[in-house]
Amino acid sequence: MIKQTIFGLAVVLAPTFAAAHSNSEATTPADGSTVTEVSELSMRFDDPMRIISVTLTSANGEVGIERETGMDPATEFRATPLEELAPGSYSIEWRGMASDGHPMQGSYSFTVAE
Amino acid sequence: MTGLAPIDGLAVLAILAKSIGYGAALLAMGGVLFMTVFATRAEAPALRLARQLAVAAALVGFVVLALRFGVRAARISGMGFDGATDPMMLGFVWESPLGTAAIWRGLGELAIVAVLVPRIGQWIALAGSGAVAISFAQVGHSLGEPRVALAALLVLHLLAAAFWVGALAPLRRAALSPVGADVLHHFGKIAAFVVAALIVAGTALAYLLSGSLGALFGTAYGFGLLAKIGIVSMLLGLAALNKVRLVPALRADEPGATQALRRSISWEMLAVALVLLATAALTSVTTPPINL
Repeated sequence: MIKQTIFGLAVVLAPTFAAAHSNSEATTPADGSTVTEVSELSMRFDDPMRIISVTLTSANGEVGIERETGMDPATEFRATPLEELAPGSYSIEWRGMASDGHPMQGSYSFTVAE
Repeated sequence: MTGLAPIDGLAVLAILAKSIGYGAALLAMGGVLFMTVFATRAEAPALRLARQLAVAAALVGFVVLALRFGVRAARISGMGFDGATDPMMLGFVWESPLGTAAIWRGLGELAIVAVLVPRIGQWIALAGSGAVAISFAQVGHSLGEPRVALAALLVLHLLAAAFWVGALAPLRRAALSPVGADVLHHFGKIAAFVVAALIVAGTALAYLLSGSLGALFGTAYGFGLLAKIGIVSMLLGLAALNKVRLVPALRADEPGATQALRRSISWEMLAVALVLLATAALTSVTTPPINL
């Protein structure tokens, strides 16, 4: 009886559910892709995300970037590399906070080919 | 595993601090609930222990709350421990739902300390317990939809858990007194309903956050939840043993009944600590399947 009640309740309530915090939906360059040039770095989220730290690293260490998106929560984060990216593999790591207060972090990588 | 956040030192620290915070909140709320429900039945030593525990737990909870702000600031900053005292990072945490939850929890825990004031203090503390329970619905996945159902289920789940957890030490003390068996028997009668509410609310919450039973398998959230359910099952087994076997033995004045019951309650306390640790891990580093 209790079981039926719970499942009944859950079935009634479940369809109105929405994501409480966001995933990184799409990035530029795409994760795992090989590109010839990188004019912009971007990440899109399905819910506003406060991106606090972002680092771009190559095999030789950290590469400077200029943030276009500030520290306010946004569904799209944009930045540009301070220098032209030489061929090689790169990874982006970020940390921040979702709108529900959860600390969030993620990373993606791409390769620049000649 | 799906939906598992990277676990670094700061994440481990966050889990430990959170589980201590959970324990403190439950003991603080539960101590006040015990004093209210058993005001006329329990003897002075058990009631005094409940009051002392409530006050101590409320103060510990308050300190842990401050520590958790630092840990959260460090985790979001990407600067390691330096982030814990960075005013900008602390400001971000304060602006986040954790800030709102902290106001409810902090004020609630301070109100619980009012239990030291005779008469009126107990009512202030009871309101404080309500505020602490509500604070948990101000942060995390209970902010999703259906908001009202999630919040109500979580508050009910926590108050029921607090009633149980907060009563353990006072009951363990009550077992030593001649009228203790009656207090324990009365607790058992109430607990049957409270534990039912705890399980129904917990199951409904888990179902709402999982979306389907299938989602429990292969996700970190599911694994954590199943681990929690495993420990809770052992806890329920101990509780049933107490209710059906050990408390009747105490009432019948059987030799060794007091020691057996007190030992069993100690095991319950250990199981509770493990449940809180599992819950803190679940709410810190896993994502409910519904949000994946």
